[in-house]
Amino acid sequence: MKVYFTILVLAVTITLGGCKKVLDVDSTRAVGEQNMWNVLEDTRAALMGTYGLVRSAMADHNAHWLYGEVRSADFISPVRQDLKAIGNNDLNASYPSLDALSNWRRWYAVINSANLFLERVGEVKAKDPRYTDNNMRVDIAQIRFLRAYAYFYMVRIWGDVPFIISSHEDDFENKAREDQGLIMAWVEQEMLAAAQDLPYKYSDNDEQQPGNYYNESKSRWAGALARKLTAYAVLAHVAAWQGEYPNVATYTKFVIDNYTKGENGYVTTDNLTNSNGLFFNKNFNQLFGFNFDWGHIDASFTGHIEELTLAQPVVNKSIPDIFMPKDSILSIFDEYGDERFSLDTLGNPKSERYFTNYNGKYPIFSKIKCIMGGVSNPEFRIFSSAMIFTRLEDVTLLRAEAFAVLGERGQAIENLNVIRELRKLQPYDEVRNGDLLEAIFKERRRELMGEGHRWYDLVRYNRIRQNNPAFNELLSQGGIYWPISRALISQNKLLKQNSYWN
Amino acid sequence: MPKKLHVGWLYQMLAIFSCSLAMIFDKAYGEPLYAGPPDLAILMQDSIVQDSTALDSAKIDTVYEVKLPLPLKKVGRPAQNLDATVDDLARFPAVSLQQYLKGQAAGLYVQEPNGEPGSVQSMLIRGASMPLLSARELYQNQPLIVLDGVQLIGEHPFAYDIQQYDFNRIGTATNLLTNIDMANIASVEVLKDLPAVAIYGPRGANGVILLKTKQAGNRRAISFNAYTGLVQRPTVATMNGDYENSFRQQFYDRYTPAGRYTEDDVYPLYLSDSLNADYYGPSNWTDSYYRNALIYAVNASIAGGTDRANFRFALGNLKNKGVADNTGLDRYSASFTLNMKPIKWMTFSAMFNGNRIERQRNRNLRDRFALMNYIPDLSAPLAPNKESYDRYLKNFENSFDDNNSNIVEGFAGLLFDFGPLTFSTKFSVDYNEGYRDLFYPRTLLENNSFASNYYGYSQRIQFDNLLTYKVPLNGLHDLSLEAGQFVQWDTYKYNYAYAYRGVNDFIKLNLLESDPGKDEYLTPLAFPRELVYKFLDRTKHNLLAFYGRANYSFDEKYKVSLLLRGDASSNAQPTNRWLFTPVLAAEWNIKEDLMTQQDFFDVFNLRAGAGRTGRINAFDNFAQGPQYTAEVGFTGNVTTPGYNGFAVLTRPYSSGWIGYDLPWAYSDQLNLGLDLGFLQNRIKLQLDGYIRQDKNMMLAIPAYAEYGYNYAQQSGMEVHNSGLDIGIQATIIPTDRPFSWTTRLNVNLNKNKLNALPGGLDEIVLGNRKLEVGKPIDQYWLFQNEGIYLADDEVPLVNGQPMKFNGTALKAGDPKWVDTNNDQVISSEDKTLVGNMLPKVAGGFTNQFFYQKWSLTADLYFNLGRKILNQEMANRFDFINREGTNTMDAVKEITFWEKRGDYSKYPLYNPWSTVIPYRAEQDLFLENGAFLKMRTLSLSYDMSEWLNKRTAVVKKLRVYVSGHNLFTLTPYTGQDPELVNYTGYDTGYGLPIPRTYTLGVQVDL
Repeated sequence: MKVYFTILVLAVTITLGGCKKVLDVDSTRAVGEQNMWNVLEDTRAALMGTYGLVRSAMADHNAHWLYGEVRSADFISPVRQDLKAIGNNDLNASYPSLDALSNWRRWYAVINSANLFLERVGEVKAKDPRYTDNNMRVDIAQIRFLRAYAYFYMVRIWGDVPFIISSHEDDFENKAREDQGLIMAWVEQEMLAAAQDLPYKYSDNDEQQPGNYYNESKSRWAGALARKLTAYAVLAHVAAWQGEYPNVATYTKFVIDNYTKGENGYVTTDNLTNSNGLFFNKNFNQLFGFNFDWGHIDASFTGHIEELTLAQPVVNKSIPDIFMPKDSILSIFDEYGDERFSLDTLGNPKSERYFTNYNGKYPIFSKIKCIMGGVSNPEFRIFSSAMIFTRLEDVTLLRAEAFAVLGERGQAIENLNVIRELRKLQPYDEVRNGDLLEAIFKERRRELMGEGHRWYDLVRYNRIRQNNPAFNELLSQGGIYWPISRALISQNKLLKQNSYWN
Repeated sequence: MPKKLHVGWLYQMLAIFSCSLAMIFDKAYGEPLYAGPPDLAILMQDSIVQDSTALDSAKIDTVYEVKLPLPLKKVGRPAQNLDATVDDLARFPAVSLQQYLKGQAAGLYVQEPNGEPGSVQSMLIRGASMPLLSARELYQNQPLIVLDGVQLIGEHPFAYDIQQYDFNRIGTATNLLTNIDMANIASVEVLKDLPAVAIYGPRGANGVILLKTKQAGNRRAISFNAYTGLVQRPTVATMNGDYENSFRQQFYDRYTPAGRYTEDDVYPLYLSDSLNADYYGPSNWTDSYYRNALIYAVNASIAGGTDRANFRFALGNLKNKGVADNTGLDRYSASFTLNMKPIKWMTFSAMFNGNRIERQRNRNLRDRFALMNYIPDLSAPLAPNKESYDRYLKNFENSFDDNNSNIVEGFAGLLFDFGPLTFSTKFSVDYNEGYRDLFYPRTLLENNSFASNYYGYSQRIQFDNLLTYKVPLNGLHDLSLEAGQFVQWDTYKYNYAYAYRGVNDFIKLNLLESDPGKDEYLTPLAFPRELVYKFLDRTKHNLLAFYGRANYSFDEKYKVSLLLRGDASSNAQPTNRWLFTPVLAAEWNIKEDLMTQQDFFDVFNLRAGAGRTGRINAFDNFAQGPQYTAEVGFTGNVTTPGYNGFAVLTRPYSSGWIGYDLPWAYSDQLNLGLDLGFLQNRIKLQLDGYIRQDKNMMLAIPAYAEYGYNYAQQSGMEVHNSGLDIGIQATIIPTDRPFSWTTRLNVNLNKNKLNALPGGLDEIVLGNRKLEVGKPIDQYWLFQNEGIYLADDEVPLVNGQPMKFNGTALKAGDPKWVDTNNDQVISSEDKTLVGNMLPKVAGGFTNQFFYQKWSLTADLYFNLGRKILNQEMANRFDFINREGTNTMDAVKEITFWEKRGDYSKYPLYNPWSTVIPYRAEQDLFLENGAFLKMRTLSLSYDMSEWLNKRTAVVKKLRVYVSGHNLFTLTPYTGQDPELVNYTGYDTGYGLPIPRTYTLGVQVDL
């Protein structure tokens, strides 16, 4: 018996060995846990992945512009029923895009990816000597910033949202919605903390990020990543959304005082509207932007404002998804000499910077038009414009807004005039331009048109002024938020629909 | 793993042997290899024997010298085969195996959602074992096809991962079961019961279709089979812009004050200009779209040999043209079989089957745009006028779409025969590769040319060993033992690239710099680098199995067989690699045992089987547990590779979380069968009842959204299928009369039920489907429609407010959807599960009449208890949401101008309403999809005798004339109730299955 037993043991051993070899097939399609978090290429992939997830959350169904522009109804849609519904604030309407826009899953993917990074980055630090302390510190700062940004973006859309700051991979428990005030306080803290560790530029021997970041040169990172100024610019938005205007003044001051350190500057109107200007690929003036770099074969058909706004003659498309009617254009661009858009004495547009085909049935909003590699060829509707969340002009106008609210008229006008001069307008004059705060918001509307700010500007304006009964009702009843997707509510029974949308 | 110890040391020795061999092959070939159950034993079978089953193996021995020992008794398989003969099957002008077998065997359900020759079709044996949510599940439900012991591999659905639209898989999208020329086939068996399929292990979990190639005898034989025929252009009703315009005007008249619903409304230009002859002129596009076309097939074979060696060699060519859109398929095939017996105790056998399939695909816009991932301006759809349509078609002259597949399979095997002990070893390969090289010139799409190149292959290598021992017992006892092992190596791979905007229309290839010395090495030359997209992907799967079986028979009256097997899959998680399963089968020949004295019954045989078989994970990522991948794309841009030019790794947020400890899925089955023959076997009846429970199956559950995931991939779904296969064959007028009549009926009754969902859930919603425990898995989830609210005040008031649909107040012109849960609001909670996508009853009914040398075959095919959702009709009414936008929904094919169905049945809702009154998901568009089809009416004349009198050369000569798909009886109002895929939605995209007339000849010399 003993012999048989020996044979058996031997047999099992050999069999196991041979079979294991046949049965252990390492997937070439997915990276298993054992092959992740080992080397600094893994942290780079995870970090870039988190950026990629933010980009996908904002670009999916062109959400950034549907939230920010279409909802404000400055633009209207001739053919797309779903966009009409958004413009009418009929956010319960049954369209796939509206359902996608009421689903926060993509933002939580950002948050989960960030949480996981923070929990696992130490493993790489321990295993890969090439992964320096500084590299890790800067990575962590970016991840914390992106996570806070995701919460900020969600709070603007849904108000209260579940608050989750760890990956919970052992147990994905459902969470109820957390008070948005608490979340915003945390967001501000996180961003401030991140700002301390973020450099002004990457791979430029910044004191907080010496040497080449991930072995790539400065031009590779230009505008692509969150920087110190990014954090302060977004902080200004965070503070403004909460109505904490003193903080807005503080945060914007940091940006205005230091923008040259980040190679930032005010962009000319030509640069702003050129198809290979500010919006094309990536550059430092994209204070917080997500690029679709043409050279990286990253241009796409969707995820760009151009997909919504451009049509004939700018691209081959008969009717734009959204357009701005002529009378709206005239009421918004009502000052002579505006480089962005103004009429000459004969009533014809002086330039086609902001609007093409002005005299046609559909004036085409063509401020942003990065077609293919930044050309004006209408044949192929693939776009390479970056999604810019904020830029220096936006920060300057926020600063003006803060001073106007705080009663510092002089400084408010000074900041407003920076932008007015930049666009070749006469300095602000109360008699001609009316109420200061209104003039600042009007300037924002002109300058940042098509960049996904308008709806939030409207909310802030109406919070300050409270002079529009319809909007006041939205504000008081939570109607400024989006409904929560029914799919989410059915998954997580702790969630309650926003009362306005019940 | 410890469980293995129970099986014993013999088993282990075999394991050592096989694993070592596996390692050797791994080393020697780099790419791994396969194995199927060694069917060497039945290779020598008479070429036209049909009731080739199992128990009556005696005749196999008697024919030739090159013969094999008695095959082991296969207990539990039917005693008689009631299906059509291969000669009859071969007369059907089919392109694919699915078409040959449709309606021919009880329990085998074939879906032919498209009449385009060579397009993908699916089969289900005894229902679906999981909800068919996408092409991925459909793939996981396909039966195993075994050709002479070679398990065919097919094509893996992993390529769908890079596709925004899943209408077709990238690549050739050719049905790979077009590689079977029925003229080469000696027998077809559909194995359904667990005792019959158990030997194939997890691969056979969905049933097995066993094909055997014709073998040579020991004298020279030549055969020739050919047909030629005509596919007939269908007659359809067409319409033009005027018709469509007046159709839409009724909505404008009713719901708009001044011809527009809102100020910004746009009426489509192509309908508003009644002077435009393209749209408003004659609608005669059908002359260029539909056609009559010729088809033919020819197969010639030569066979010969001696007592010690023989061979058969066959060549074939087939051309099948579709009636619509210039589609067609050409097949070139070669088949070769060889048997040698160099020494008394050893036989060598080999088989090769090679096919080349060239397929001309349709030119519809949807498939082209889906391939290009680009939708051009859709404001001017294809016009119904022939001149205009011809101008469009002319653009294709400068394009090409080479869509070819090469499919080869073969084996080489040795059988050692030492009397009671035999050992067989077999090495087999199935390989298929597909190429699609395509170019669209600038003129076809807004001055943008497009090139795409696909190359992909699937390869299965199998290595099989089987040891059998016939225990020398005396008297009435008969015991045989088997021990077998196989290893199977599957590899799937593709390379795919596409590019836009080439430099001109003369360079149609996506050329790359080929000089490795240059910096620009591999940079595209003819297409801009920034618009070239490249994809590589590969997946592997290895399967390993050991099994042992004992068969015992007492006096041919009682038989029992026990199979024990262990299977391991590389797609199972390392902690759960192995699955051990038993199958027990028993048979009682009551006729021989108890009824020898009475002569009413000629056959009375009872069979039973019970056991378990594993189900394989189709995707290798399940084996990895928690993992990372690159999923940072978004709707419309799914293949985003990274950010800022860097590859990324994220959790699989879109496809779903995968955890640890996922067990094997398995299928438990209970079979009970009864074979009856009475009245001198004039009536044969076969009844097979079954219960199958598929357990522990994976399902993507919508979950963890607050952790970023779309789904959680969880195990624990359980689906129950039960039913009855009925086969009846009756000789109504016996064949010894001048006029005779036989009739054959096969029916499957099947019903399915969801027994459990992962995580103990009661129900989940997946897209427009809902799965509810206790309900069937193939039901539609729809609103119940009860008409229309003609006025605002007809809408019920809830707390003084009009009733709401998902938060939007209902108004005049909106549908009356039933508030089934009485919660005073209409929401998806009010949708109910109704109707079945799969038929509850399906089968075939064949009658054959013989008069002297004439015979007439009439073959009917039917489906009952099945519903179809007429999405094409819903789309027609929902024109407001399908006009002017740049989405796939707005694409209008040329067949938009074909009038299908009855518009007057539907209420006139307000199409602008944001509740989307004409959504497809309501019972308004659900129709009865039952049908009865005349598949074949064939008249043949046997000239053998007549010729035999004149020459001894001709053994058989039969000429025939047939008509196929002659008529369909159905209450369904859409196109054709068959042209619906697994989703049950009739999208209107199926090309017609043509009426076909053939004239053919079958000659044996």
